Amino acid sequence: MYDAPANKQSVDQSNQKITARNVQVFYGDKQALRDVSVDIEDRTVTAFIGPSGCGKSTFLRCLNRMNDTVAIARVEGDIRLDGEDIYHPMVDPVQLRAKVGMVFQKPNPFPKSIYDNVAYGPKIHGLTRSKSELDGIVEESLKRAALWNEVKDRLQESGTGLSGGQQQRLCIARAVATGPEVLLMDEPCSALDPIATAQVEELIDDLRQNYSVVIVTHSMQQAARVSQKTAFFHLGNLVEYGETGTIFTNPQDPRTESYITGRIG
Amino acid sequence: MSGKHIVSSFDRDLEAIQAKVMRMGGLAEVAMRDAVQALELGDLEMAETVRRNDAAIDALNEEIRASAAQLLALRAPTAIDLRVILSVMTISSSLERIGDYAKNIAKRVSAISGQQQINGSYGTLRRMTQFVISMLSDALDSYIQHNVELARDVSDRDREADQMYNTLFRSLLTHMMEDHRNIAAGMHLHFMAKNIERCGDHATAIAEQTIYMVTGEKPADDRPKADVTATTMEGNA
Repeated sequence: MYDAPANKQSVDQSNQKITARNVQVFYGDKQALRDVSVDIEDRTVTAFIGPSGCGKSTFLRCLNRMNDTVAIARVEGDIRLDGEDIYHPMVDPVQLRAKVGMVFQKPNPFPKSIYDNVAYGPKIHGLTRSKSELDGIVEESLKRAALWNEVKDRLQESGTGLSGGQQQRLCIARAVATGPEVLLMDEPCSALDPIATAQVEELIDDLRQNYSVVIVTHSMQQAARVSQKTAFFHLGNLVEYGETGTIFTNPQDPRTESYITGRIG
Repeated sequence: MSGKHIVSSFDRDLEAIQAKVMRMGGLAEVAMRDAVQALELGDLEMAETVRRNDAAIDALNEEIRASAAQLLALRAPTAIDLRVILSVMTISSSLERIGDYAKNIAKRVSAISGQQQINGSYGTLRRMTQFVISMLSDALDSYIQHNVELARDVSDRDREADQMYNTLFRSLLTHMMEDHRNIAAGMHLHFMAKNIERCGDHATAIAEQTIYMVTGEKPADDRPKADVTATTMEGNA
């Protein structure tokens, strides 16, 4: 009869997909992130929330070394994927990004066919040996992104001709095609209408079966709807991290409370 | 949480719904007080007024529920805001029940008016009512002031209300056994006492909602319960 409360679940140590310890990020002299330590769980949707400039996107971009592409950015601390240091000199960032995929705010399909958009990653990473194998990956990825039924008869049409919501799901299919373990999403629905948003949110919930999903969102309601864990960032600090249900009904830190209830903090 | 919302109309909505709860609380206190006063004075007109006025309490309950539903749908409240609205709904139901109990007491005033008096019972009912009204009033104050300490105090006082009810229960039982002409009045007086005791339980429920609203945690159910009449028999009365 007695159900364990949600916050007692998933304390299993082996469930950690990414562990970050004392992560600091500097853009030149300016410190953007201070001493962030967090464990991100496998097969869980984790939402990062916080006001603009709080460091949530900066931290997200540390998780697949996207900050490497910013010349003045410097990352300190320790970030491990399945226990492996992702900033180790032997780690190839391109290989890392195949394992830790990313979906951006604005849908950014390549100006190529729907098929080629999805096939691109597996091709450059040499994941397939034959055309039929590649066809299989494309179909599977589009199915996982809940787009297959809408595009299966027009795979050779341009990806940019799809609606905004379809384009974003195409980008998710593209990210899924390289067989990632973690999917990072930076405001994936902010350019979409409510119906397309709902479809992407439904998809995120499906993706949780196979991946660890980390989503940055400005919509608190979206964080509440899609995530199991929520992290609140403020002025470069990770203020509070916990079960989403707890964060939204009984946050412990007054800064979290002010932010999620829309008060002047 | 004293900070104001950035969207100030949200604050106005929350204040409006809480003002309605306080108005309802005031009406419920008056209904209890007047119902028992009508008994003591044998004032049937006053009893009739209490019965009539219950409609206003019920209407406020409906208004509060409608406003709460609208706030949930339109504002998607979280954290303290969510807990305010959840507690408002529960408190409003409790006050609506208190109104019903007062109305029931008022109905019994006319039924009892021709009956033989039972020594001292009216005075005991009045003291019990005053005690429960002070619980209710403190519970509502604790709610509006977000005062957890006062809420805990109200919760602790329920035991005393239960004991007053037990004493009256035994005394009425004794009078009814001694003289069967006391039975009709004794039964009505007993139901009145039970109604007042239940009002005390609702005052306690309001205090517990305050604790939940402020702390986010429901108080542990270790509140002392002193109503033993459910297991009291004639022999051990």
